[in-house]
Parts: sequence; structure tokens; C-alpha cells
Amino acid sequence: MKRLFVGIDAGSTAVKVVVIDSEKRVLYTLIEDTKPFIEEQTGSILKAIREKFSGCEFFVTATGYGAQLVKEADKRVTEISCHARGAFFATGKKGTVIDIGGQDSKVIVVGNDGQVLDFVMNDKCAAGTGRFLENIAWRLKLSFKEMEELALSSREEVSISSTCAVFAESEVISMLAKGIELKKIVKGIHRALVKRITAMLYSVSFFPPLILSGGVARNRAVQKMIEEETGEKIIVPENPQITGALGAALSGL
Amino acid sequence: MIEIPKRSEVIKKQKDEGKLIAAVFPIHYPKELLRAFNIHPVEVWGPPLVDTKTGNAHLQPYICSIVKCGLSFLLDEAIGTVDMVLVPHGCDSLQGLGSLLLDFIKPEKPVMVFYPPREKRSCDVGFLEKEIKRLYHQLCQLTGYSPDEERLLKEIEKEEALEESLLKLYENRKEVTLSSLEFYRLIRAREYLDADTLMNLLKSVPQKKQTPLTNSKPVILSGIVPEPMDILEKIDEMGAYVAADDFASCRRRVYGKGESRNPFTRMAERILNGPPDSTKGSSFDERIAFIESLIRRCSAKAVIFHNIKFCETEEFYHPILKRALKEMGVKTVEVEVDLNERMPQQALTRINALIESIE
Repeated sequence: MKRLFVGIDAGSTAVKVVVIDSEKRVLYTLIEDTKPFIEEQTGSILKAIREKFSGCEFFVTATGYGAQLVKEADKRVTEISCHARGAFFATGKKGTVIDIGGQDSKVIVVGNDGQVLDFVMNDKCAAGTGRFLENIAWRLKLSFKEMEELALSSREEVSISSTCAVFAESEVISMLAKGIELKKIVKGIHRALVKRITAMLYSVSFFPPLILSGGVARNRAVQKMIEEETGEKIIVPENPQITGALGAALSGL
Repeated sequence: MIEIPKRSEVIKKQKDEGKLIAAVFPIHYPKELLRAFNIHPVEVWGPPLVDTKTGNAHLQPYICSIVKCGLSFLLDEAIGTVDMVLVPHGCDSLQGLGSLLLDFIKPEKPVMVFYPPREKRSCDVGFLEKEIKRLYHQLCQLTGYSPDEERLLKEIEKEEALEESLLKLYENRKEVTLSSLEFYRLIRAREYLDADTLMNLLKSVPQKKQTPLTNSKPVILSGIVPEPMDILEKIDEMGAYVAADDFASCRRRVYGKGESRNPFTRMAERILNGPPDSTKGSSFDERIAFIESLIRRCSAKAVIFHNIKFCETEEFYHPILKRALKEMGVKTVEVEVDLNERMPQQALTRINALIESIE
């Protein structure tokens, strides 16, 4: 019977799934918004996968903040190890992974064979996470794409607090009230996020290349600003949002 | 599973035997001195998850949860049970607590403070000896009893014998058939058990492994107090075990023997010559050497710094300790906890990632 390896990254904003075979070929990927009942959601996803690949045997590895709720998991691995393994596999390079997730962000120093050498997490404040951009986008009634475009189009930016997401939101409201141009504010928001991330980067002994993972990795303004702040080139895997799920699937091998 | 008597049962038994009960705040104090006066010390390390309304009314928001929970627990529950309160100067927050109790709150029971020195020079032994004598005279006044040198030495020797057994237990950790949680429940029973009772419990510890720990990865925990204690259970579930600790409440209080025949000098020697501790102002080098010795003994490849939120005394050491450990090839992670909160999932993820990353 053919054996397939399923990686489920049950994140705070999205559930990501990757199915690979024993040759490490990616057969299936899925990204959907996290629903309030993760146990049921991941149960249905796995049921659909079993139907799609009927006749196969499955080994399920769960990661992410909802990993404990993936009841059918054969193994659970932290998102830190999964992102390291996934990024190493996707890029074939050792280096430093920056994962900007919905609930937390991580900097993971990855060694020669994808092992974690060091890591640091920001898990206490939404500043420096995807949630920060999400809140501001909601407040400004903009899509993520519009946020990205506005940030890239602006030459100037305003300085916004990078220490607290709530204070930053208040700052944005008062800037809007003062009539400050929207694109300057949006660029300032991106800068605040990136400054938080780069501060984490400098708290570990990181080495290049910098590999971005997580949903925010697609944001070109964030990519550009991290390059500006660090002077290092950024690598973005083809599908950065599934890096953790890919690493989870690989952990099952 | 070792049956450890409950705190409330111990207090009742001691009271029934005519002993006085002292609520003692962290960290270092001459336990044997209190025992010589027939006073039974019961330590107040929090406790966790109490309503801190009373503490919040007196303390600033940046005071740690050990002090905040401790003050709330003392005033809301314990003050009616205990006969006296002792507050050693472990840090600024504890010193503040002592002053608050003495000068502002003035509870109905006597409050004593105790000032261990911050260094380990020869003059510090003299200072501490005087401080212990001052406490001795205060206790004489309070109890109307003056234990002689022989009685003091007897209690000192009991504590020293207990510590010898505790040290053996620590050294045989790998051979002991106890989970990390069971092991530390036993170690922490010292916070409220007398030396004889704890010695008897230690004798009942199974020394042969039923479930070998050899497949688990040895890790070291460093901090003030292992609370919330679920962290110990979680570490075991993650495929590791706590092979040694550098906790102020646990290993750092296994002082060892003093040398002098003068009981006051000996009590001072014991406290000062014990393992290095942030609240004793130990040097970075001493602390690094101590943790290194623990690592060597148990072959640990990782140290978890378990910090109580706002404990600057301890946190001050972390950057240099972490750097030194990294140079030794030892991985570290730092987690911050509040006694009044459940163990945060994010902190557990960090610990789990650290355990995954060690061979």
C-alpha cells in the first residue's frame, strides 16, 4: 500500500495542509481560513484527503497552535522545527528563516541539514505579527494587496510605534484625523512591523540568506524593507504560506 | 508514588504538638534557628492562582507575582493560622513587602525581617552572623525561650544531614523512578516539612528505574521557583526530563555543611557558602561554573531559563549566562511566567522546540 505523509499546520489564521509521498514529491496542498472548531475542521480536511487518495496509507504530522486539536495526528512537532525543515527543503539552503505568522513571528537559524540552531519568538504582542497588518487593513478598509501597493508607491513614510499594536492603531487614527496622506501611513505601518522583526533577527546569531515564510512573506513591501533594514537578500519559497505544513509532512518521513 | 503530607495537615499536626507556625517568604533564612525555638516554618512562594486583589491594593503593577500572590494569600487566608511572619530580604520587592507589613499593613501577628548580605566576603560572614543573632534575640523575646548552643547545633546538623540526602537524591536523579513533577513535589516539600519527616520520605524514594529515563533528554531548569508546576509534566511529555535544577527555591538552597562549632557562625557560613544565587549577588563566573557543573553531571544539552515576570534580580544574569552556555555548545531558551496565569502555550512551544532541537 502506498504511504503518504500529511502535514497539517493549524495556525491561528489559516490551516495549511501538504501531502507528500515517500519521494518527497508534493501531491496536494490546501490553505483555508481557520474556523473556530479546529478539531472538526481538520477532521473534515483529513477525511477529504483520505477519499482523494483512497487506497493509500497515511501518516499525519500536526503543527501550529492548534496541533493538539488535530486528533488524528500520529505525531506533533513544533512550528519552529517544521518551518526550519520546510524552508530548508524548499530552498535547499541553510540560513535564517523569518516566519511572520498570524499570532506570532519567529526567527529560526537553520543549519546544514535543516536542523534548528537557534530561534527567537515574538509571542507576547501582536506588533510584529500578521495580525498587526490585518488590524490596520481592517481599520483603513484596505485589502492586503492595496496595503502592499500603497506602501511600495510611497516615497515618504511616517514613524509609527513598533512596540504596541494597540497604540499603533491609535496613532494611525490620529494621523488620519490630521489628514496625513494614507500611503505614508501605510508605509510607516510596514516599517513598524519590519523594525520589530529585524530587532528579533539581531537578537540571534543569524546568517544569510534570509528566507521568508508565512502569509506575510508574499508582501513585497515587507520583503523590500527587510532587505533595506538588514542589507541582506531575501529568498521567498514558491509557496511560503505552506512552509510549516511542508516541514510537518517531511517530519513524518 | 510517594505520599507527601499536605501543607494544611502538616500545619495542624505541628500546632497540635504545640509548635508555633511562621509564614516565611523567600529565599534564604536560617531554618534551623526557627526550629530550635520550636517554630515550624512554612514558606510562602506565591501560592499560584490566588485572587490578588488585596496584594494589588498595596503593590505596584511591576511587582512580581510571588510577592503579589504571597501578600494576598497571607492577608486573606494565612494570617489567622500563623503565629508570626518572616520576610527575608531576597530582592527589592521582598524588602518592600517587609516594610509594607511592618509600617503600613501592620497585621495582627508579629512580622520580622531578615537581611542576608549581598556578597561573600569574610566581613559578610560576620554581618550575617550578627543578623542571625539579632533574629535570635527577637525570637527569644517573642517566645520567652532561649535555646542553647547545643540545641542550635542539633538543629543545624539535622538540616545538614537532610541536605546531604537531598544532594544524593539530586546526584542519583537519573536512577530515581520519579517523573519530573513527582521529583520536584518531593524537593519542594522542604518548604513546609521538618527535616525528620522529609528524611523519612527521601528514604522511601525508589532508586531503581521501572520506566527508564535514559530515552528521555536531560534538561536543566534555572530560575526562582518551578511554578506553574505543570511545566514539569509537560517537559516529560515532550520527551525530556528535568535532570538538574538551578532554582532558588530548590537546588540553590542545598547549602552544605558549615565548619564552625559556633552555631551562629555556622548558620552564616551555610547560607553564604551555598550554591551561587542571584539574590546573594553571586558573580557571573560563579553562576556559570555552577550551571556548568550541573551540565557535566547530568550530560544536559539544554538549559531552560524559567523567569518569573518582573524578576529583574534573576533576569539581569541571563544574557551573560546564555552567552556562556552557547559557547559551551549548550542550547538555551527563556520563558517568562506569572504565578497567577496558567503556563502559556507559547512558552511551551519554545520549550518543545528547544527539546526537539537537541540530540
